[in-house]
This record gives sequence, structure tokens and C-alpha cells, in this order.
Amino acid sequence: MALAKAAGQRDEDGRTSILSASTLVGPATIFVCAGLLLPLLILFRYSLNRFEPRRMMVEALSAENYLKFFSDPYYTGIFWTTLYVAGLCTVICLVLGLPLAYALARTQTRFKNILIVLVVLPLFVGNAVRAAGWMTLLGNKGFLNVTLMDLGIIDAPMQMMFTEGAVIVGIVAVNLPYMVLTLQSVIEGINRALEEAAFSLGAGPYEMTRRVLLPLALPGLLAGTILTFILGMNAYATPVLLGGPKFKMMGPLVFGQFQLNNWPFGAATAFILMSATLVLTATANILVQRRYRR
Amino acid sequence: MARLQLTNVTKRYGEMKAVDDVSLDVANGEFLVLLGPSGCGKTTTLRTIAGFVEPTSGSVRLDGKDVTDLPPWKRNAGLVFQSYALFPHLTVSQNVAFGLEMRKIPKADMPARIAEALRLVRLDHLGERLPRQLSGGQQQRVALARALVFRPDILLLDEPLSNLDAKLRQDVRVEIRELQRKLGLTTVMVTHDQEEALTMADRLVVMSEGRIRQIGTQHDLYERPADRFVADFVGRSNFIDGTIEAPGRFRSGGGLEIACGEGRTGTATLALRPERVAVLGSDAAATDNRFEGRVEFLSYLGAAIDLHVRISHAERVIVQLPNRPENAPPKIGDAVNLGWNRETARVFQD
Repeated sequence: MALAKAAGQRDEDGRTSILSASTLVGPATIFVCAGLLLPLLILFRYSLNRFEPRRMMVEALSAENYLKFFSDPYYTGIFWTTLYVAGLCTVICLVLGLPLAYALARTQTRFKNILIVLVVLPLFVGNAVRAAGWMTLLGNKGFLNVTLMDLGIIDAPMQMMFTEGAVIVGIVAVNLPYMVLTLQSVIEGINRALEEAAFSLGAGPYEMTRRVLLPLALPGLLAGTILTFILGMNAYATPVLLGGPKFKMMGPLVFGQFQLNNWPFGAATAFILMSATLVLTATANILVQRRYRR
Repeated sequence: MARLQLTNVTKRYGEMKAVDDVSLDVANGEFLVLLGPSGCGKTTTLRTIAGFVEPTSGSVRLDGKDVTDLPPWKRNAGLVFQSYALFPHLTVSQNVAFGLEMRKIPKADMPARIAEALRLVRLDHLGERLPRQLSGGQQQRVALARALVFRPDILLLDEPLSNLDAKLRQDVRVEIRELQRKLGLTTVMVTHDQEEALTMADRLVVMSEGRIRQIGTQHDLYERPADRFVADFVGRSNFIDGTIEAPGRFRSGGGLEIACGEGRTGTATLALRPERVAVLGSDAAATDNRFEGRVEFLSYLGAAIDLHVRISHAERVIVQLPNRPENAPPKIGDAVNLGWNRETARVFQD
């Protein structure tokens, strides 16, 4: 009843309809404010405080945590690694995901729903369990090494676990379903006749993709890219479990600082990570939209 | 511009034959219409010509050259889709330019070619618009310009008018036909609308269940339909089932004795066009057949009036009267005399 009333907007005076609209938007707004904005504000305030080993957090208003981050090559190195890994994973997801999403969107089979479930299947497994799976595959005594040695292709086990490569493979495996599902739903919305029109006008598959499919799928490409990039930037379990103690990314770094009770520096790191992610996705969004806006 | 030949084209989907042994020969500059109810194979036939459907067997030739195995983008066929399929992210001019760019036409020649194509469909002032800013009729003409601009060997139209409203459709029919004639373009159009087919075609192909039922001019199909399906699908027909008892003598299921034309003795069906049956006054000249009946239903169509007249317990025929002042229409329940000559009814036998 309340819903119908709010949606109908047929109240006699305007105030009641504003009231009922606020009952619809209200709970979610309160939840977001209390659960996200407030902690962020508090965290931001923390990031301006000072850390002293004995007294822990000391009230202050200084940018020294931010300066510390950007002046120490150890931390900037972690920052660039994170950017590089997230960027590379996004590109790989895009390249692997697009053909898969296209095939999924255009298939006529009645098993389509099953195929979609298969794509999402990796997400049914938790991060830790999945990482354990990769370990049994990539470890020094793991399936790949043992098989290769049994076949006599290699003599000694190759180091695959605890490498950058392992982390990239792990993140791609988690992010790919997001990319595929986003692209698939957008491609499904593109009329098949448009592709055929391009073919009939003399465009081969490559030209059709470049001139028709990609520009029309752009909103999906952008959404999928942003989604997988954000997930990559903030990856935690995969770099910890597959990268090992020597491989550092921003997510584990932030949490590590909190574990050391260095809340001010942890908070500053968190804000750097968040800002970098936001700025990069916003820039990409604007650049791409400007390039393709007609 | 070219001659198009289909030879024994069959397309099978599993057990189902979507197109069954279709052969066509479309002359240079001819406008051929594939007509039939939905699912009759006409669209699959068109898509085979365009290259989107690979026939299970048979061949497609354009100007004598076998193109059966060529992909759509190498066929040089201009295609207009039912949904127009204009590229929504490109302007009208860019849509029209697409085919030229794919053919690597020199950049310098393009503006003139685009302008010429848009002038042809009277849209030269709308080149900078996006498709969504155009009306349905305008979008349809952009689709036509886009298909014509690269001078295709053949023009293919897939129900191009079905998304237009009725009034506009009549104008566009004439427009497309005149344009096609002016350019001398070999054209194949698919439609389920018989009026559209009759207005536009040089020749028509009636299809059902994947097979060609009859190929011919409007006159051929209407006056000499090959079978009951064609007689029913092109125009309207009254069908009277019965048997031919002796040459020229037909006995209907309802027991009427009807004088008919050629036919061997045995089961037969008479097909009678509603407008060829006369309502006879008391002083009318004698006809071969004369039956008394009662008007059971009447519909006033403006230019004509349809009478549904029961002439026996098993037979009711529709008679179309031209609406003229001197034809005072009968009323429901009135008794009327119907008459027709023996050659008026067509005889179908298996």
C-alpha cells in the first residue's frame, strides 16, 4: 500500500508525496551514511593524526603520513605494482571476456542459463578456498610441476607459486565472471540486425566489430573495465595467498598497518588507494566518452 | 545491376526444410516479390541470397558468377531490414557513408556520393541528424539510401514497409517502385502483405512450407491460381467442395448441381472470386448457374459491400457488390438470386 501510494503520486498535497518518497529512499540512505560515509570521514580524520610507537595514535593535523608514503620508494613501489597488476588483469579480462561474452550473448541454445551459471561458478567458491585450489595446481609439488616432471619436460620444479604471475592468474580468474556478465548483458541489447547490416554493407568481421559492435557495447566495456579494475586494485586474499610474503599490493599493505596498530598511516594508505582508483576510473570514463561521443 | 539465379536451393534445419528446392531466375532490372505467410521460407530465401544463410544444397549465382560460398560482405547486395537497422551511434550521413568506406571509395568522392544518395530519397537536409531523431518513414528512407549508395548489384528488401503506418505505406510503395525502375535495379522483396506485393512487383513468387507454389505476374496469380493455396492467399476465394460427376457437371457437398469448366470426374474443389458472382435481378440474362439463397451476414466496406449468402445447408458464399447508388443493397434475411457462368469458377483437383 505504502509503495503504491508513493509511486502513484496522487496525494492531494505535495508534502505527503515527498514524505512517502523519503520512506522509499530513506533506509538505504541512512544505511549508506552510517555504514560508509561516517567511517570514511573518521578514517580520513585518523589519516591526519600522528603515530608514536608508545602512545599509538596522537591527535594532530598534518599531512606527514601522505608525505611518508610518497617519499619512500618501498611504498611507491607497492603502489606501482598494484596499479600494474590491476591494469594488466583488467586488460586480460577484457581480451578473454569479450569473445566469451559475445558467444554467450548470441547463442541460441536452450542451455544458455546453464552456460551463464558456469561462468559465475568460480564466484561460488570463496577466495581462500580458490587460492588453496591454485596452490595444489601451481605449488612446487603441485599438479603442474609433478606432471611436467613425470613427463620429463623439466628436471626441477618451476617456481610458480608466490610469483606475480600467480597473483595475476588468480585475480583474472576472480574478475573474469564480472567482466563477462557485464559485457554479455550489453551485447544482448544490441540488435543482431545491426551486425548483419554492417556485413551487408561490406564490413568483414573485424571492421564490423571495430565500427559497430565495440562502439555500441561501449557502456558495457566501460562498466566491466571499471568493475574489474576496482576489484583488482583492492584485491586482498589473492595477493596474500598466491603472492606470498614478499609480494606486496596495496590491499594487504593497508590491513597490515592496522594490524601494527598504525591507524594513521593505514588510513592514509587506504585513502591513497581509494583516490587513485577513483581518479583513474573517472578519467578513463571521461576520455572514452569524449572520444566516442558524436 | 545483375541477373540473379537460384538453382534448387534447399535449407534444412535438422528435419525441418525451411527452404525446399527453390529455383528462381530474376532478370536484370526486375522487381520480384516473395509472398507468403510467416514461416513459408521467404525470409530464409532472401537471407540465402544476402549470404547470411548457407544453403544445405543448391547454388546462388549473380550475373552468372557462383556466390553460394561468398560471405555477405563480398556479395555487393544492398539490404534493407524490417527494423531498418540504422547504426544508432552514427549520423544519417555516416550511416550512408558506411558502405562507401568499406569499399575504400576515395575520401574526396564521398560527400558527393552521400549527397546524391540522400537526394534520391529526399533527405538531403537531414544528413547531420541521428537516426533516433527521425520519424519511422525517414529512417526507412535512410536505410534505402544506405543500401543504394554503393551501387549494389542487387537490392534486397525484407518486409521494408511493415513498420510504417498504413497511409504512409501506400506512398512509400510507389516511391520505392519508381526509384527502383529509375535505377534499373534488380530487386527481391519479401512480404506477407498481398496488396503490397501486387502493387510493387513485376513478378510474384507465392511460397508456403518452404516451397514455391506459383511464379507469375499479378494477372497470372489472380486469374489462374495454380492451386487452392494460391487462390486463397492472393485475393479471396469461395471454396465449394464436391465431385465432378460428368464432364462439366459438379455436385457440391450440399447437393447443388453446378455447371463447371474443365475437369475429370472425381473429387474436386471449385474456387469462386466474390466479385465475380452476380446478384441477379428478376429480369437478368440467363447464366450457367443460378441459385437462390438468403443473406445471412452483410458488411459495408465503403467501396463495396460483402454479402454472405447461404445457398445450401452446407454452402455459404461471399459475394462482393460494388457500392453504387443503383445497387440498393439487400438486408440480412432477404432472398437473393446468385449467378455465375461455368468458366468463372476455377476447378482444383489433386
